[in-house]
Order: sequence, then C-alpha cells, then structure tokens
Amino acid sequence: MSFLKLDGIKKAFGDAEVIKGVSFAAEKGEFVVFVGPSGCGKSTLLRMIAGLEDVSQGTLYIDGKNVTFEEPAKREVSMVFQSYALYPHMSVFENMAFGLRMNKQPEDQIKARVLEAARILQIEPLLDRKPRALSGGQRQRVAIGRSIVRHPKIFLFDEPLSNLDAELRTQMRVEIAKLHSNLGATMVYVTHDQVEAMTLADRIVVLRAGLVEQLGTPTELYDRPANTFVAGFIGSPKMNFLLATVTATDGNSLQLSHPAFAGGTLQLRRPAASEVRVGEKVSVGMRPEHLSLDPAKPLLSLSLDLQENLGGSTQIHARAAGEPITMVVPGRPDLSSGDAITAGIEPNNIYLFDESGLAIKG
Amino acid sequence: MAEKTATPNRGYGRWTPFWFLAPAVLTLLLIGIYPTIFALVTSFRRYNITRPRDGFPFIGFENYLNVLSDSTFWSSLLLTARFYVTVLPVQIALGLAIALLLHKPGMGLLKSLARVTLVVPLATTYAVVGLIGRLIFNRDFGVANQFLNWFGFPGFDWLGSPSGAFAAIAIMDIWQWTPFCALIFLAGLSMVPGEIEEAARLETSSRLSLLRYVQLPYLLPGLTAVMILRSADVLKLFDMVFVMTRGGPGSATDLVSVYIQRVGFRIFDLGTASAQAILLLILTIIISRLYIRVLYREVN
Repeated sequence: MSFLKLDGIKKAFGDAEVIKGVSFAAEKGEFVVFVGPSGCGKSTLLRMIAGLEDVSQGTLYIDGKNVTFEEPAKREVSMVFQSYALYPHMSVFENMAFGLRMNKQPEDQIKARVLEAARILQIEPLLDRKPRALSGGQRQRVAIGRSIVRHPKIFLFDEPLSNLDAELRTQMRVEIAKLHSNLGATMVYVTHDQVEAMTLADRIVVLRAGLVEQLGTPTELYDRPANTFVAGFIGSPKMNFLLATVTATDGNSLQLSHPAFAGGTLQLRRPAASEVRVGEKVSVGMRPEHLSLDPAKPLLSLSLDLQENLGGSTQIHARAAGEPITMVVPGRPDLSSGDAITAGIEPNNIYLFDESGLAIKG
Repeated sequence: MAEKTATPNRGYGRWTPFWFLAPAVLTLLLIGIYPTIFALVTSFRRYNITRPRDGFPFIGFENYLNVLSDSTFWSSLLLTARFYVTVLPVQIALGLAIALLLHKPGMGLLKSLARVTLVVPLATTYAVVGLIGRLIFNRDFGVANQFLNWFGFPGFDWLGSPSGAFAAIAIMDIWQWTPFCALIFLAGLSMVPGEIEEAARLETSSRLSLLRYVQLPYLLPGLTAVMILRSADVLKLFDMVFVMTRGGPGSATDLVSVYIQRVGFRIFDLGTASAQAILLLILTIIISRLYIRVLYREVN
C-alpha cells in the first residue's frame, strides 16, 4: 500500500471544476513535486491533501488510512506556506512549539524537539525573536522548522521559495533537498518553477487545467515527454516546435518536410514510423540546448534575430522560415543580427508529436 | 527640457486649507469645546439659575467637595459601574459569538444580510430605543411578558420593580450595543491572514485554541476600543434610561448621568452638575488610559 494515495480526486467550486479526477500514489520517503502553470489546480490539490479544501469527489489515503473527511490537524501533515504564515505575536520558539503544545506534548520534549529543529536549520540564535524581526529567508526556515518539530507523516510545501530572491531561493532549494535526504520524509511540493521541480523531485506530476498531463521522474519527463505541453513546460528555455508534414514513410523511417529544414526535408529513423501516414502533420521538437551551431550536417537554415550573452554560453534567438527558434550554444560565437546561420541536432534528440500533441514513441 | 508654463494658482492660497477646515472646526468649537469650557468654568461657580439675584460667584473647589461628599452621587456612580459590568460581558460574549458565526465561510447572501441588519440597532436613537423598551416591557401588553407566558411564567411588572427596571434597561442596552461589538470583532477576525488561520488549523482541531491563541491577538485592539467606547458611553447614558424609567423606580436605575441631569435641570444647581460632569470626564480619561495600557497590543 502506498503512503499517500489520491484516488479519482475531483474539486469543484460551484460549477467550475478545477480538479477533474486526479489519481496517483507516492511511496514513503518520496519527494513528489506538483508542477504546472498558474491556475492548473496544483495548489488546490495540495490543500486538499492538507484538508484545508474539501474534496468534492474521490478518496484520499495517508498511510493506509482514508482521510478524505478527516480534519486537517488529525491528518498528521504539516505545511509550509508561500507567505510563511508565522504567528506574528509569538516568538520563533513559540511558533515552532505551538503545534506540539496543542498536541499536549510534555514541555521537556517540546523544548528538545524545537532545539533539535533549530539546530538543523541553524536558527538557534533567533529563537527569542518575533517573526517581524526576521528576514524572508529566516522566516522560511522557521516555517520549515515548525513543520519539522511535529514529525509529520507528510511535509507539504506550497510554493515556499517564490517570495525569496534568486540567490536565497537557490540556497533554500539545496537545503530542502538536504533536509529531505536527512529526514527521509515524504514530501509533496508545489511550484510553477520547473527548475525547482527538476532538481528536487523524485517524481514530478505535471498538471494542466485540473488533469495530470504526465507523471514521472525528472529524467523521464525531460527525455520522454508524453505530449507537447510537458515537452514545452519541462526544460528551459522552452523546446522549439516546427509543424512539419510527413512526405514519405516506410517501416522504420520517415521523411518530413518543412521550409525551415535545410534542403526542405528531414529523414528520420523511427521504429514507430508506421504510426503516421503520409500527408499528416507532426510537431518536431528540438531542445535549445541540443541544437548546435554550424554543424557538419546542417538541419535548419536560420536567420539570427538577437543573441543574449549569458557569460559562459549564448542564447540565440533566430528564425527558420518565419518560425522562432531558440538555441543555447557554448561560448560567444561571433555573430550579428541578420546573419544567416545553420543549426544541427543529433537525430536521437529530436522529439516527434502527432497532430493531437501526443508523443510518437520510438 | 521644455520650460513649464507656470499658470498662476489663483484659487489656491495659503489660507485655502484653513477655509476648508473652518466649518468643521467652528462646529466643533460651538457644540463641543465651548460647552466643555463653559462647564469647566461653571463648575467653579455657584450657579443656580433659579436664584439669579445671588449672582454666579466664583467659589473655588466647593462644588467639587460637595460632589465628592454626596453619597447619592457615589451610589449612582456605583450603580453605573454595576450596569457596565452587567452589560459589557454579555455584549462581548454575544458579539464575539455573532462575529464568529459571520466569519465562517459559506452562506454569502445570508451573511451580508445579517451584517446589514446589525447596523439597525446602532442607527437607532437612544430615545427611540427607550420608547421601544417601554413597549417591550409594558406590564399589560409588552412582548416580554407574552414571552414569559409562553413558557408558563407569570407576567411581571418590569418597569415597576427595582430589579426588573434595571434588567430592562440592561437588556435594551445589550440589544443596542451587541451588534457594535459583533462588527468590531468581525473586522478583527477578518484581519487574521488566511494562511495563518490555516497554519493553525493544521496544528490544532480545537476551535477554542484557534480563537485563544491565533484570533484573539487580532481582536485585542478592537476589544480595547469597545471597552473604552462603552465605558464612556455608559457614563453618559441618559436618553434611553430617562425615557424608560426616569431613573426609577426609587433610585433603581438612577445612573450617574440621570442623576446629574436631575441636579442640573430639576434642582437647577448647574454649578454642582458641572462639577459632576467634569469629574466624569476625568474618570473616562483615566479609564481609557488604563484600558490602553493593560489591554491594547498591536499584533504586528
């Protein structure tokens, strides 16, 4: 039996259905990240696990127990909020001790647990302070500390890093990852930042409009996105897409045509080539970091719009027969706007999607 | 940069703000500050308007000494204090209960209707509240007795008996002021950030703990305001009591402001009445400062 199990969970606010049937299971100790654009329902889903939002339909199990209608405090989960949600009138120590006091734990144990958590998070000198005397990063640590002391079954994080500046965000991300490996706790983490998702997750749940688009490890999502949405969402910068026409196909290869291709056509070996027919449209996906400049075998002829110097690498914005193409290349190529350039890619790194956006396997 | 064309600001001069403020300041002077100063001056004079021939001589603190040694003044003040400690806890408790109900999610339309209804007693003039009270507690056809009858209790001459009259004015005051407490507490409750309330709900399932440890700190400023306003208000509570009982029967509802009115406008001893009023003003200020010092805490 999995540790956290969502079975056909639905949520409607009035007539508006925001979660349209989500099922998945997470094992004990797993780090699951819900990722998706704003409004996809990821926070609502997390709040339903916490019990802060009623479940309209479906069943929710934590540690084998049906908690669909259980009160939040009895689910033994803890949550770190985007705004930290510290009690403003209590000191850091009291903030962390509150849940334990409410649980009527003995005072010496409360003290031991709070000090332990404070030591892990390096906030021992702050214990007597009020939240208003803390910086954003320190508040976030206290909020995490408040979660830790309760030894919850599941840690829930609702976009916990989005109020922090970039540097602190990276730092806290690493700390959360460390915390996860040290505590071995089950964590569910909501973010719209795909970098956080990729770096933290054991498994990612990609959500769109209340439905799971794909569920898998970060590598799976990157290497084998199930559809154009996931392909475009995971990876930064976004994957490039060209809508090409199938001009020829045999058992294990197919020929595609698009004006952007050098020579007008592209020949690809694919075992599943039989799935598509001549005349059908397919989306050809290419990740910016997979494209290389001026290769031996050029695939795309481009005209350069703009280049952004990222220091160690350069991000090139170009056009191929009117379609925008982004690529990231190492170093600082000597180019200027309007230059004609060519780009190539390893055939294995080309993704294909059918007309409805689903990945063509193989 | 092109030079700005400076238009002379003909309508707005140094004194413009003054003219805008003047009506309010004048009104305040006329109906607030002048009477207070007049009362202060009067309190140091013998000022009995039935004996104008005696003049209005300046007599120092004699009025004050008289007031402080007047046992009726003290007993009416004590009665006022009793009234305050009778009505205020009920108003706070009921107000808080109503506010908590209105703060619960759901039933949007009904709740906004209820919120509007809360303003009705507040918008009612004290004298009208007194009139309504006289009807409700009428011995022969009042709804209070009808209500008692339904539960098998005999009717009761509310306004004719000392404890009944005291209860009647207390009930009317509670009716009028509970909504005010409810509105203040509701504002306090909605000050609690949603995520903080949710964080607490994850840590405790007890509604009482949530109220005590998370919501109460946000209610304290409002509670202080309620206690200050109510104590000032009870000290000058006159119209409603006067209309309902005129301080009677006997001295059962002779609150301090009713007594002062009697001294000032029945006995026409304005000097003494003014001294009493000034003492009440001082008392109000002291009580307010005490409340602020003991109770008032900003959450953030």
